[in-house]
Amino acid sequence: MGLPGLEFAAAVFTDPTVIGLIVVGTLVGVVVGALPGLSSSMAVALLLPFSLYLDPIPSIAFLAALYCAGTFGGSITAILINAPGAPPAAATAFDGYPMAQKGEAGRALGTATIASVTGGTISVLVLLFAAPLLARVAYSFGPPEYFALAVLGLSMLATISGEARLKNLVGGCLGLLIATIGIDLTTGVDRFTFGVPELLDGIHFIPVLIGLFAVTELLTQAQHLGRKTRVVTLAALKLPSLADIRGVFATILRSSGIGTFIGILPAEGSTVAAMIGYNEAKRWSKRPEHFGKGAIDGVAGPEAANNAATGGAMVPTLALGIPGSATAAVILGGLQVQGLRPGPFLFEEQPALLYGIFFAMLFANALFLIIGLIGAKVFSRLSLVPPALLWPSVLVLCFVGAYGLEQSMVDVWVMIVAGVFGLALKRYGFAAAPIVMGLVLGGLVETSLAQSMIIFDQQWSGFLGRPIALVFFILALGGIAGAPAMQLLRALRAR
Amino acid sequence: MTRGNDNGRGPHPDVIAGIVLVLLSAVGFWLTTGFREVPAMLSQNVPPTFFPRLVLGLIAAGGIGLVAGGLRAPRLQLSLLRPLVFVTAGFVVLVPFAIMLLGTLATVFFVSLGLPLLWNERRLRFVVPLALGMPGAVYLVFSVALEVRFPTGLVATLFG
Repeated sequence: MGLPGLEFAAAVFTDPTVIGLIVVGTLVGVVVGALPGLSSSMAVALLLPFSLYLDPIPSIAFLAALYCAGTFGGSITAILINAPGAPPAAATAFDGYPMAQKGEAGRALGTATIASVTGGTISVLVLLFAAPLLARVAYSFGPPEYFALAVLGLSMLATISGEARLKNLVGGCLGLLIATIGIDLTTGVDRFTFGVPELLDGIHFIPVLIGLFAVTELLTQAQHLGRKTRVVTLAALKLPSLADIRGVFATILRSSGIGTFIGILPAEGSTVAAMIGYNEAKRWSKRPEHFGKGAIDGVAGPEAANNAATGGAMVPTLALGIPGSATAAVILGGLQVQGLRPGPFLFEEQPALLYGIFFAMLFANALFLIIGLIGAKVFSRLSLVPPALLWPSVLVLCFVGAYGLEQSMVDVWVMIVAGVFGLALKRYGFAAAPIVMGLVLGGLVETSLAQSMIIFDQQWSGFLGRPIALVFFILALGGIAGAPAMQLLRALRAR
Repeated sequence: MTRGNDNGRGPHPDVIAGIVLVLLSAVGFWLTTGFREVPAMLSQNVPPTFFPRLVLGLIAAGGIGLVAGGLRAPRLQLSLLRPLVFVTAGFVVLVPFAIMLLGTLATVFFVSLGLPLLWNERRLRFVVPLALGMPGAVYLVFSVALEVRFPTGLVATLFG
C-alpha cells in the first residue's frame, strides 16, 4: 500500500516558495525552540499574522514546519544548559544535562535528533493514514456530536496536569467566554462590546495568543532576569555510535507509539507525551537506576515521544477541527483565518492543502535531522544570547504582529491586556494553553450547542438519543471525574 | 512563578483566585442582563444570553471549587513580583501611546534601545546596532514586502 495523497506531494516539492518556507520554518523553529522562554506555541502565534499574507498551502506548511522543528529545538538547551527551550523538552533535561556534564553532549544531542526525527516521521505517517479515516467517521457527525466532541476536547484539559485540573477547566471556560464577545451570529445582538465598535466583530484570537504566549513570557523574563546558567561547551561534537542507536531503538519506537497516541487525544500535547515517554523508557529499561544520571534512553524516550505528539496532535486538528495541542490550536486558528473550516469536509474540499501539510511535516522532519546533526554546535551558541537583547526583538514582533493583522490599534491593546492578565493568571497557576483552546473552540462549541438545542427543542435529554455524543460525554466525564474519583476510592479504602 | 513560600499569612492564592472568578461571573451575569432582547422566533428559543450564562455558571462553579480547595490546602504565599516586572509592564503599556505620537518606526527604535537599557544591558556595542537595525528590518519586511501600513504618528502628521 502506497502513501495516500502522494499525488499532492508534487505541490509541495516542486514549489520553490513552499520548499523555501519549510526550510525557513524549520530553521526558525529550531532557533526559537533552542532559546529558553521561547516556545513553538509562541513562535507560531507570533508568526501567524505574517503567514496570512501567503497562500494557504505555503502558510500552513511554514507553520507546521515551525511546530515540528520548535519541539525538537527545545532539547538543545535542555541538554546543554539544563534549561529546556520549551516545556516538552523538560523531561529531556533529566538525563540530557547529566550526559553533557559527563562530556557526552554531542552523544546526547545526536540521540535527541535521531529520536526526534524518528518519532516525528512515524507520527506523520500515522497522520497520513489515520486523519482521512477519522474524517470519514466524522462525516456522519451532526451538531450534537460536534458539541460533545468539543466538550471532550475541553475536558481533556483536566488531565494535562493533575495539580491544575480545575484551573485548566476554568481556563478553558475563560477562553469560551472571550469567544462570546461581539455580535451573536444567530440574533445579531452585541455582547460584552461596551460600545466599542471594533469589538462588534469579536476579539480576534491572534492578539490574544500573542499576548498570552509572548507578552506574558516577556514579563516573566523580567521577574527572572539575572539568573545565571552554566553552559556546557561542545569542544568535540561526538555523535552517538551505531551501537548507541541500536541500544535505544526499541525505546524510540515505543515512545513514538506513545507520543503519537497521546498527541491524537484532544488537548494532550507534547509535554504530557514526553513525560510518559520518559517514564516508560525508565520502566522498560534494564538499568533504571541510571536514569537521572545520564542514561541515553532517558534522552531518546522523551524526545521521540514529544516529536511524535506533533504529528499525532494534527490528526484531530485536521480531521475533526478539535486541536490536539496548544500549538495545533494556533494552527487551527490559522486555517480558520484563511477561510477554511478544519474538519472532515476539508479532506473533500482541500485535499491538496491537507496533504501539502502532511508532506511539509515529513520534509521538516528530514530537514532537522540534517540541521540537528550538523548545526547543534551552532545552535548551542543561541543560549548565550542575553535576554535583554533577545526580548526587545520579540516585543517589536508582538506589536507588529498584533497590529499587522487588521492594521488596528485595538488589536494592540487587546494583546497588551491579554499579556498583563496572562501574567496574573500565570501567577495563580492558570496556564495559557487551556484559554487558547477555549478561545479557538468557542465558536464551534456555541454554534453546535445552539443548533443541538434547536434540534432537540430545548430538551437537554435529546443528547441521550445520540449514541456517539453520549460516548463522548461519558469519556469527558471520565476525564474530569476519573482521577478525583480514584483518589476518593483510595482514601476510603485506606480508612 | 506560581510557587511561593509556605509561610503565608493571608488566604491561599487559590482562595483569592476563586473569589475573583466568582466576582467575574457575577459581573458577567449582570452584563448579560443588559443584552438586547430578541423575539423567541428570531432566536429560535436560544437567546443570546444562553451560552454566556452557561459558561459564566461553569466559571463560578470552578471558582467555588478553587475556594473550597484553597481553604483545605496548606498555607502558601506567592513570591513577590520584582519592581522590574511592573516597570516592564508600564513600558509595554506606553508603546501604543508612543506609536500614536511618534510613529511606528521611531517607537521600534526606542523599544529596541529602551528595553535593553531598562533590563540593565549596558553593552552599547550590542544595543545600538539592535536599536538601529530593528526599524530598518521592520520597514523592509513589513512595510515594503508585506505592505503593512503602520501609523505614522502625530509628530509626522504635524511636521510632515
